[in-house]
Amino acid sequence: MTEFQTILGQMLAPKYLGWLLDGLWMTLLLSAVVAVFSTLLGIVIAAARSSRQPWLVLPARGFLSIFRNTPLLVQLFFWYFGVSGLLPESSVEWLNTVHSVVLGPYLKLTWPSFELLCAIFGLSLYSAAYVSEEIRAGMRGVAEAQRLAAAALGLNRWQGLRYVILPQAVRIALPPLLGQYMNIVKNTSLTMAIGLAELSYTSRQVEAQTFKTFQAFGVATLFYIAAIALIETLGQLIQRRQRLAGAAQR
Amino acid sequence: MQLSVLTDNLPYLLWGAYPDGPLGGAALTVLLSVGSALASALLGLVLGIALSLARGWPQLLLTMVLGFFRAIPVLMLIFWTYFLLPIVFHIDVPGVLSVMCALALIGGAYLAHSVHAGISGIKAGQWDAGLSLGMPRVAVLRHIVLPQALQMMLPSFVNQWVTLIKDSSLAYIVGVGELSFVAAQVNSRVMIYPAEIFMFIGLIYFVLCSGLGLFADRVAAYFQASTT
Repeated sequence: MTEFQTILGQMLAPKYLGWLLDGLWMTLLLSAVVAVFSTLLGIVIAAARSSRQPWLVLPARGFLSIFRNTPLLVQLFFWYFGVSGLLPESSVEWLNTVHSVVLGPYLKLTWPSFELLCAIFGLSLYSAAYVSEEIRAGMRGVAEAQRLAAAALGLNRWQGLRYVILPQAVRIALPPLLGQYMNIVKNTSLTMAIGLAELSYTSRQVEAQTFKTFQAFGVATLFYIAAIALIETLGQLIQRRQRLAGAAQR
Repeated sequence: MQLSVLTDNLPYLLWGAYPDGPLGGAALTVLLSVGSALASALLGLVLGIALSLARGWPQLLLTMVLGFFRAIPVLMLIFWTYFLLPIVFHIDVPGVLSVMCALALIGGAYLAHSVHAGISGIKAGQWDAGLSLGMPRVAVLRHIVLPQALQMMLPSFVNQWVTLIKDSSLAYIVGVGELSFVAAQVNSRVMIYPAEIFMFIGLIYFVLCSGLGLFADRVAAYFQASTT
C-alpha cells in the first residue's frame, strides 16, 4: 500500500496542469476541425457510393477499403514522413514556415504548424471513411417514398439528395455520428507520434518531467472522459429538442 | 519508386532481429493481434454474460467500468497498463504483454456490449422454453441462448479483431518492436524513401485486415446458408 501512497502523494504543480490544459485545448480544437471536415467529406463519399455511375462507386469503395483496413498511425506516418518527401522542396519549405495574417489589433490568424496540418489532413481522411458509412446507413433509413416524392416534384437526383434525402439521413444518423465524433476525440491521441502537442503528448511530457506518472496520466484520462461526456450530453440535448420539435409539428 | 530500401530491409520488417534477437516486425504484429483477439473474445464473452445476468448495483458498476474503457483512447490505456502492471504484480512485465492487456481490455469492453446485445436479441420465448423443460438459467444460456446469439455476434467479433490488428500498431508508442515500430526505425535509419516504407507496411496491414474481413464474410455466408 505504501507504493500507492507515494504514487498518490502530491498534486501536480500549476505549471504542469497548465501544460495539460494546453494539450486538452489542442485535442479539442483538432477534434472539432476534423469532425467538420470528415463530415463534409463523408457526405460526398456516401453520395458517391449510392450513385448509379460505376466510375463514382468504385473509387469510393476503394477509398473506404484502403482507409479502413490500415492503421491510422501508419497513415499519419505516411502523410508526415512520406508525402513531405514526395512534394517539391519549395512547397515543403512554405508549409513549414509560419505565416500569419494580422486582422486588426487583436486578431491574428496564424498558419498551423506542419504537424497540425498533417494531423488534420490524415485524421479527416481516416474518419471520413467511418462517417460516410454512418451517413449511408442513415440514407438507407429514409423511406423510398421520399425519393419518389422528390422525383414527382420535378427534383433531379442530385436535388432530391440535397434537399430531401440528406437532411433526413443526417438526423437519423445522428446518434452513430456522435459515436464517430467520440472516436475522433480518442483518435487524436495518435498524433502525438508525429509530434503534435496534444493531450497524450503533454501527459507524457509532464510524466517525464515530474515522475508523477499517476497524476499526469490520471488528469489526462479525466480530461478525455470529460470530453466524451460532453459529446454524450450534447447528443442527448439535440435529440430531446428534435423529439420536442417533432411533437410540436404533429 | 525506389524498392531497394524494401528488399534490403525485408527480413527485418517481417520478423525483426529473430533468431539472433527478439521476434519483431510483422510476425510480432500477428502474435500481438492473435493474443489480444483471443483474450478480448474471452473477456467480452464473460463480461457480456455478466452484463446480461446482473441486476441492480452490480450491473450499474459493470456498465460504468465498461464505459470507462470505451471512453478513453487506447493509447492512454497502454500508458496505464505499461506503468501500473509492474507495480501491481511486482514483476517486470514485458512491453508486449502490457500492450496485449490494454488491447484485450478495450476489445473486451466493446465486445461485452455486442454479446449483451446478442443475448438480448434472442426472443424471450427461447428462455421460457428452456426453463419450462426444467433447465436452470445457466443451462438455458449455455445450450439454447448462446449458440444462437454467438452466430449473430460473429460480425461484431470480426470487426473488433480487425480493429485490434490496427490498434496493435500503437505498441510503437512504448517501444515494442512490432511492424510500425520497425518501419519507423528503418525510416529514421535510411532517412530516404519514407513513402515507400510506409506504403509497404500499409499494404501488409491491409492484407491482414481485409483478409480477416473476407474470411468473416465467408463464415457468415456459411452460417446463413445453414440456417435458412
